[in-house]
Amino acid sequence: MKALCWEGINDVRVQDVPDPQLLNDQDMILKVRLSTVCGSDLHLLTGHIPFMQAGDVIGHEFMGEVVEVGAGVTRHRPGDRVVVCSFIVCGRCWYCRNELYSLCDNTNTNPAITQHLWGADPGGIFGYSHAMGGFRGSHAEYVRVPFADHTAIPIPEAVDDMSALFASDSVPTGWMGADLGGVKQGDVVAVWGCGAVGQMAARAAQLLGAERVLVIDRFDYRLRQAESAFGVETINYAETSVGEALLEATGGRGPDVCIEAVGCEAHSTGPQYVYDQVKSKLKLEMDRPIAVREAIYNCRKGGSVFVLGVFTGLVDKFPLGALMNKGLTVRGAQQHGQRYIPMLLDRIASGELVTSHLATHVMPLSEGARGYELFKKKEDDCVRSVFRL
Amino acid sequence: MNTAGKALLAAGVATAVAVVRRRRRTPQDQSADRWLAVTVYRSPEEVQSSLPDDLARWRDQVELRIQPATGDKGTELRVKPTGEVPAHELRLALRRAKAVLEAGEVVRADTAPTHPGPMGKVLQLVTNRAGGGGRL
Ligand SMILES: NC(=O)c1ccc[n+]([C@@H]2O[C@H](COP(=O)([O-])OP(=O)(O)OC[C@H]3O[C@@H](n4cnc5c(N)ncnc54)[C@H](O)[C@@H]3O)[C@@H](O)[C@H]2O)c1
Ligand SMILES: [Zn+2]
Ligand SMILES: [Zn+2]
Repeated sequence: MKALCWEGINDVRVQDVPDPQLLNDQDMILKVRLSTVCGSDLHLLTGHIPFMQAGDVIGHEFMGEVVEVGAGVTRHRPGDRVVVCSFIVCGRCWYCRNELYSLCDNTNTNPAITQHLWGADPGGIFGYSHAMGGFRGSHAEYVRVPFADHTAIPIPEAVDDMSALFASDSVPTGWMGADLGGVKQGDVVAVWGCGAVGQMAARAAQLLGAERVLVIDRFDYRLRQAESAFGVETINYAETSVGEALLEATGGRGPDVCIEAVGCEAHSTGPQYVYDQVKSKLKLEMDRPIAVREAIYNCRKGGSVFVLGVFTGLVDKFPLGALMNKGLTVRGAQQHGQRYIPMLLDRIASGELVTSHLATHVMPLSEGARGYELFKKKEDDCVRSVFRL
Repeated sequence: MNTAGKALLAAGVATAVAVVRRRRRTPQDQSADRWLAVTVYRSPEEVQSSLPDDLARWRDQVELRIQPATGDKGTELRVKPTGEVPAHELRLALRRAKAVLEAGEVVRADTAPTHPGPMGKVLQLVTNRAGGGGRL
């Protein structure tokens, strides 16, 4: 079959790879219909997550049709239309039972790497490096879905393919940021990053009762999209001081909840950007936490900061003083998708949660390399490239 | 590949090699005097009565303890070798036993790419042993 493979830093190509097989009783094989790029893939492309092998199939946000199920699969049948969470979960360990699905104990086949790196191993992800299990990704005609009963979720009739696609990863991620960030009725919420994840966090904050939601980015086309889709307020950090704008919007308090949806390759107009870039090139710093620093600095006293952006290792100039002295709660997580996806699909079906506008560029898999190029460089007003299989 | 890219990849491989080296340098007898443990989200009775083969086969060469975990987290399953059992094998056995008890089976890794490249080959050395490595 054809699949889009990581072949080296900034090098992805469509290759012929063997069809996936059922390897476990609880596996199923999915015929992929739609699979999208995600900001997390950019960290693979640039080599920020250096546990890739040439020929690894990438992609982790997808939906499709079940074609084959193992003997141990009871909830899905061939022909079913499902969305597959980017995290592979067993559904029965302590973490899964406590709805902390991305921390599943039983799905990372290479636990040693992240145990050494982070002290413990999170669950496995599709197409997201050998540190996260080495599972083949979804930019392919077919994909094997381990623990299918728990990893995949049926799509209601009323939800079309394109809307369901984003329920795999960006929608639950954004929702989690607002939910576990503790958004309450009447809150002012600031979201850094106006990609799919940031937009979904902003919408989740609204649906959870926030009175004002402000989204921060430098790309006007993205800010305009969020304004028109959800009626949020926006701040272009290339033109406006984020700190001043947030103080003004909150009567001098600062936002109650700050959600960071940027990640380890954050950009900045200030001198700290050059500093961070040089340090990360010299391997003195692994990640650039620019938006995290800004979120912590601008959050109101006693407020909460949720880190959705992906980080891999050590950061520099972490504002521990602000965190401690302002009494902040700082939390982060990979998405606990299965906790939210069924509810989110219902909200999509009811029309209150719109997602399909994120698919600005829909193309066949054969144009995968171009899709990533557009997405990486934010060209042609790209929010997400989606591959139709 | 640009220079920055090469530097990043090299850093990754360095981490990977460190993982392998640490494993190799750990003498078997160093781990031999400490318990290796996993917590299984099942009752002590269930763990006791259906100890998976992966672990049961080491029964004569290990001391085994099964006790309730704190805070309703299930059962702590501990082993300490009494004979010549590589810690690597025991870690693997414990992880597999936990997966079988909790999830019914051990998830198998997807087949590796056919042309991993030089960096990927080093990484494969690590992942081939990663199931029995780590901080367990
Ligand atoms: N926690 C999870 O489970 C999870 C899941 C999916 C994605 N992610 C992460 O979420 C992040 C966003 O993903 P995405 O798909 O929306 O990516 P994206 O690249 O489309 O969006 C990121 C946005 O951040 C903006 N940005 C860069 N620097 C900024 C700064 N200093 N201040 C404000 N905005 C800034 C960029 O201009 C861009 O629009 C990534 O780090 C991704 O890895 C996490
Ligand atoms: Zn993602
Ligand atoms: Zn689990």
